[in-house]
Amino acid sequence: MYTRRFLALGLLAAAVVWAQDAQLSIQVSGDVKQPLTLTADDLAKMPRAMVRTMNNGMETVYEGVWLHEVLKRAGVPQGSELRGKALAGYLLAEAQDGYQVVFSLAELDPAFIDNEILLADTANGKPLFGAQGRFRLVVPKDKPGARSVRMLTRIDVVQLRK
Amino acid sequence: MTAGLCAGGFDWNLPPGFPRPPIPADNPMSAAKVDLGRFLFYDKRMSVSGQESCGSCHRQELAFTDGRAHAEGATGQLHPRSALSLVNVAYAPSLTWANPRLTSLEEQMLVPMLGEDPVELGLKGHESEFLKSLRAGPAYQKLFPQAFPDEHDLYTLSNVAKAIAAFERSIVSVRSPYDRYRWGGDSSAISDAAKRGEIIFSSSERGGCFQCHGGWNFSGAIRFAGSSADQQRGGFFNTGVSAYTAPNRGLFELTHKPEDIGKFRVPTLRNIAVTAPYMHDGSLRTLEEVIDHYAAGGRMDDPNKTRILHPFRLTDSDRRDLVEFLKSLTDEQLLHDPRWSDPWR
Repeated sequence: MYTRRFLALGLLAAAVVWAQDAQLSIQVSGDVKQPLTLTADDLAKMPRAMVRTMNNGMETVYEGVWLHEVLKRAGVPQGSELRGKALAGYLLAEAQDGYQVVFSLAELDPAFIDNEILLADTANGKPLFGAQGRFRLVVPKDKPGARSVRMLTRIDVVQLRK
Repeated sequence: MTAGLCAGGFDWNLPPGFPRPPIPADNPMSAAKVDLGRFLFYDKRMSVSGQESCGSCHRQELAFTDGRAHAEGATGQLHPRSALSLVNVAYAPSLTWANPRLTSLEEQMLVPMLGEDPVELGLKGHESEFLKSLRAGPAYQKLFPQAFPDEHDLYTLSNVAKAIAAFERSIVSVRSPYDRYRWGGDSSAISDAAKRGEIIFSSSERGGCFQCHGGWNFSGAIRFAGSSADQQRGGFFNTGVSAYTAPNRGLFELTHKPEDIGKFRVPTLRNIAVTAPYMHDGSLRTLEEVIDHYAAGGRMDDPNKTRILHPFRLTDSDRRDLVEFLKSLTDEQLLHDPRWSDPWR
């Protein structure tokens, strides 16, 4: 009986640790040359970017890293390399609760389009927290906010044509 | 430092970052007008019975609701719908439960005053006596000239409506514990349970409540100084609350389009813990009942039910967390602030 209770407590502790870990880093995986585990410290060392959003009259300044910079670090084809079969690639962004959205690789590439898709870790100068998660996407050029994924935990790159 | 300081001659006393409400050009805000509106709002001369005022159905301690499923008018007639909160009504693009054409607080004020179906304050046919009684009031002989300094004909229904609208517009709530947590940098302002509840509220895969009750006002469509027409549009949903029989068929009562049956406005969730019972007909008594209603995907099958709703699983602990989050939206200061209290007491 005690063994079973300790096992249950151990699993619970592991689940809590997992949940905390999921919030403190982002996994970049799938069809990438270099899988990554990124923390806020890692993002702080990368080229920083900023976007301003206006939500119901309230302005927020998000800072973080352009998503294409993250893909570049993971070795995902960009610029002149993003052609042919590689254009059938997409990125699946997943939140802690399992929510998922998709971006094509081309719509993330500044060589294709002037988009602004930010992997944000601060808002108004403070680290993201609570329901925003430690990391989120900010997609200010989308009209609805549905792809501005909060509580972001995973980025999976998928190449449909190998 | 506060936002919107003294804009238009009125101090909104908003925390930094919050937008100012829009103000109609023909009814600028002033402290004197808001003060007059407060006296009128709580004045029992506002009803044909002399026993009721606006404050009878919009009680400050209940975030300007009345705690009833159906409001009761001055003649005892029951309103088919529950009294809506007046908190942050200045930010509402349309007023009442299901009338997108009613966009002016000044215009809306005439409905409870003069409406006959249902009778609310019941002043129709008694307008002259009512205005005469105001003119005779010593307090008003000072308040009306201060509120409308450039007018000769002070005691009019139009000015009464303008003053009460200005008072209602001033009832702004953005200082709940959640606000201190979310925007004020105070991580201890709400409980851990409320923090967990916020995550359920904000999860598309679980509660998803934010999809209708969105933004800083936890409401549907919103208007503020400088807002676009798009931001002010929409925000009416059928959520499978009832069978939607007349006269409670929502937007349909106005449009007569079958697809509008059951569509009602998304109200703000600010102070929701003190505004029971819930929904347009007051049919859900507690926050727990509301959560269970939505967790079931809306309890009534209805062809117009919004597709946003879908059943989701909540543990008892999740439900408690969600309730704690909703309670963190209660602005205690608003419920007792003398600026909005009854001056006749």
